[in-house]
Amino acid sequence: MRALKPGLVRAVVGAAIGAVIGAGSLILAGIVGMEITDGEILGLGYLLALIGFLFGIGAFRFWLTWAVGREVNIEEEHAAHGTAGDWRRYFLFTTDHKVIGVQYLATAFTLFLVAGSAAMLMRFELAQPGLVLGKEAYNEIFSTHGAMMITVALISIVGGLGNYLVPIMIGARDMAFPKTNALSYWLLPLPILLVAINPLLGGFDSGWTAYPPLSQQANLGQQAYLMAFVTVGVASILSAINFLVTVFRMRASGMSLMRMPIFVWALTVTSVLGLVATSVVAGAFTMLLFDRVLGTSFFRASRGGDVILFQHLFWFYSHPAVYIMGLPGLGAILEIVPVFARKPLFAYPLAVLSFISIGVLSFMVWAHHMFVSGMATFFHIPIMFTTELISVPTGIVFLSALGTIWMGRLHFKVPMLWVFGFIWAFLIGGITGVFLADVPTDLTLHDTYFVVAHFHYTIVGGAIFGLFAGTYYWFPKITGRMYSERLGKLHFWWFTLAFNATFLPMFWLGIEGMRRRVADYSPQLGGVNLWVSFAAFNIFLSVAVFVFNIVRSWRRGPQAEANPWRAQTLEWQTASPPPIQNFDHIPTVSSGPYEYGGGLGVPAEGRATP
Amino acid sequence: MGFGEEDPDAARSNMLLAVKLGILSETMLFGALFAAYFVIRSESPGWPPVAGFERPALLLPGLDMVLLVASSGTMLWTVRSARSGDRSGIRRWIGLTLLLGVIFIIIQGFEFATNGFGLDAGTFGSTFYVLTGFHGAHVLAGLGLMAIVVRRANRGLVSAEHHTIVEATSYYWYFVAAAGVFLFATLYVL
Amino acid sequence: MTPPRRHLWIAAAIWAVLSIVGAVLVAGIQIIPVIASREAGIENSAFVLLAVLSVPVLMFVVVGLAYSAIWFRANGDEADGPPIHGHRGFQAAWLGISFALVIGLFAYGAAGLVDIRGAQTADFEVQVSAEQWAWHFTYPSTGATSKELHIPVGQRVHIVINSDDVIHSFWVPAFGIKQDAVPGRTTEIYVTATVAGTYPGLCAELCGFGHTNMRFTTVVSNRAALKAWLRKQKPGSEGSQPPPSGSESAS
Repeated sequence: MRALKPGLVRAVVGAAIGAVIGAGSLILAGIVGMEITDGEILGLGYLLALIGFLFGIGAFRFWLTWAVGREVNIEEEHAAHGTAGDWRRYFLFTTDHKVIGVQYLATAFTLFLVAGSAAMLMRFELAQPGLVLGKEAYNEIFSTHGAMMITVALISIVGGLGNYLVPIMIGARDMAFPKTNALSYWLLPLPILLVAINPLLGGFDSGWTAYPPLSQQANLGQQAYLMAFVTVGVASILSAINFLVTVFRMRASGMSLMRMPIFVWALTVTSVLGLVATSVVAGAFTMLLFDRVLGTSFFRASRGGDVILFQHLFWFYSHPAVYIMGLPGLGAILEIVPVFARKPLFAYPLAVLSFISIGVLSFMVWAHHMFVSGMATFFHIPIMFTTELISVPTGIVFLSALGTIWMGRLHFKVPMLWVFGFIWAFLIGGITGVFLADVPTDLTLHDTYFVVAHFHYTIVGGAIFGLFAGTYYWFPKITGRMYSERLGKLHFWWFTLAFNATFLPMFWLGIEGMRRRVADYSPQLGGVNLWVSFAAFNIFLSVAVFVFNIVRSWRRGPQAEANPWRAQTLEWQTASPPPIQNFDHIPTVSSGPYEYGGGLGVPAEGRATP
Repeated sequence: MGFGEEDPDAARSNMLLAVKLGILSETMLFGALFAAYFVIRSESPGWPPVAGFERPALLLPGLDMVLLVASSGTMLWTVRSARSGDRSGIRRWIGLTLLLGVIFIIIQGFEFATNGFGLDAGTFGSTFYVLTGFHGAHVLAGLGLMAIVVRRANRGLVSAEHHTIVEATSYYWYFVAAAGVFLFATLYVL
Repeated sequence: MTPPRRHLWIAAAIWAVLSIVGAVLVAGIQIIPVIASREAGIENSAFVLLAVLSVPVLMFVVVGLAYSAIWFRANGDEADGPPIHGHRGFQAAWLGISFALVIGLFAYGAAGLVDIRGAQTADFEVQVSAEQWAWHFTYPSTGATSKELHIPVGQRVHIVINSDDVIHSFWVPAFGIKQDAVPGRTTEIYVTATVAGTYPGLCAELCGFGHTNMRFTTVVSNRAALKAWLRKQKPGSEGSQPPPSGSESAS
């Protein structure tokens, strides 16, 4: 019986059984007279559904066999790795990191489209002064948009490109813990679904930041979001541990730390941030959940709780999270620049140091989100300093990119175009960040569209431009086929122009006093908002070009060579797509990753022959 | 990995590094809970905030702490037995550790049931139960790991060469014990 | 082929010209659209200074990118570029300049913050109470209450802020001050209005469905007019009815 094998069908059945048992038992308890709230029913139902889903997909079968002391069936375990060319493995609990990478990418891009559609609804409401969808609907839409886009930014590069490439780039056959890796991925579908259907539960209107007390009085959809976020958090902690052990323990011989590709360094620092910070927000969200469901009073001011405490805990995670989203993009960009400039990465050791410093500093700046929150004034001063200080290591990224480009032999293939777009967007994001770090200017700009524009320039600039650059760059490696250069260029120019046309005017809107998170605004801002809506719609259309290009090229694009870009990092020294164990023979590394121009190292072919 | 020749030493050191990293993450989780506790307590007019409300007596939790510390000792002996390949020693010591942990949970359950205040008893009840509850959940997870060790030891699968699970469980258990002592000092004594 | 040094000089010249022109253009702009308080004035100068300083930074990267995109194209040439891994002097200069900028900005920002916060003394006090979704103002000097904010021109006003339900944020754009209203604690801010007139005030922190329309009007007038207005307000008339619930009922 095919359906009874571990897989999606069984996972869905498992989730349904879990939900029925969890929610059903509480509903029954309610019928016999116990006091049961909707929140408790949703909570237990979701928890058991998640466990049922994971059992159904087969996440625990090897561990359980091992735990009770039975022989693990080696053949079955190998089968879980999947067979090359079998499309079904993308829908199973497959332990091959390359499959998991593609699963993450597909999930992230799907979510990107859904969250992008939510943005279109927002811009529809905001195109003209007055109300169309209504204030309730608008608040729920932007909350869902934020929650989903944050997830996209968190998982797309790390989970997708990171999973696919890090083991290959360091010369390993897989991640250190392939089954945990698959578990990290399969933890995601249910919470993502829960956020997607949260309007059915009444939606939530407190934004992705979920500040109490607003989030304590919001509908049941709020609880769905909090539970989903904690689940995604658990998944990212597991994945962070996996990356760190992989990077520190599984490098091929000769791959010293300072020979690692910069992208691997970026993911390493990202993983440290994810490991250390995520459990703090998981704790904060859990306390908030308990406040809602179990009657605790952590953030209930009327009962001695402290609402500002939540903001401290939340931003202690969520500011490093900005770098969890941004650093992988920076890494991808610096990875791509040397290849298309045909020059070694400029100041590589300094770039590594800058990633590490960004990581360390990111834990000391969280309270700059709270300059008007009423926290003690003396605390503003050191936070302003650390926040401005973080621009020094961030600036080094520009130094590296510009230094590599200068005097290079630039090939403007699509990935390189995205590099240029990235530098521009991230530069605007960085410069406007200084205005928000400076308390005097932040007092007027806080919670206005200036902030909206700023974080879209940094997060779209950092994460999404990096994601597109990386997706085009590694597309031939992942699929074994070339994308269409013409469609790629169309996508780049359309997206970049529309992106800037959307978000540059928002700085002006913010200065003019347009607040964040409002469904309506002063009539005199109508013209600019109409323009912004029109431009935003163009962003969405340009992404359609991307999707078309990817889907069509994957099916019918011309065959790609092993190394179409003449790059020197290890992933290009194996076939496209790589064989199931990545390399026929694990290579030995004898020089740094970017020895273009025949400087210190030997040519690519010599340094990493399998 | 599941591929080709697996190096047991590498697998073991990978697993132990992973456990250490996991403990780092757990430390941050407890850090967040403790931070919440200290902030709320420092803003409170008194502690417990409600006049006439007494903190739970020290006897049972004190006994629990003795059990936790003792179980760390027996855990240490489990690891020693595992390293030297003393199979009966492993079973004896892990069994004893498991027993101590179970008694801990029973006492904690009894304490919860007889405290006379609940989760919804203001900030004191919230912090008290959420902190001790999180810790109790970690103890339960530790007992689960120990049960696996017992099972595998009974099947003769734990030896001087193959005892990663024992070491991993011990790291975790020391962490749980340390967190417990810190918790005891904060919630009951300080 | 142009020698490397000449590329540097040409690019530097373009950068210098664009930076100076840009900085001069930016320096003359009043950025905050309406400035009606001492604090907004300080913020506007900070804003202008930061904008002026951003011009050379922006131009440096933009000129670097544009110049490279024009002059360093491979144009089908498959050869690699020069194997330059770094440049000690340039890296040190880059770091030195960025540290100097950061410390300068920080010092200026800290001084600005101290200036805005000023001394903890005031000539006039207003208590602000925010709820979903309305603002209430109480004047302790007379006990009057109102739904509009009235303050004197040219005098230092102490604004004490509370919230009954969720977090709101008190914001008068023309004053350049913004301060959250936080349930369970009292926040405060000082402002000195400099221009008499009527200005819109807003809630700046998401506070639920009514957030969009949570506005109020601020009237800045001379002391005599304010006194007359205060006399007309019946003490406690507006605040006499208990605030609608939306706050904790479970306590």
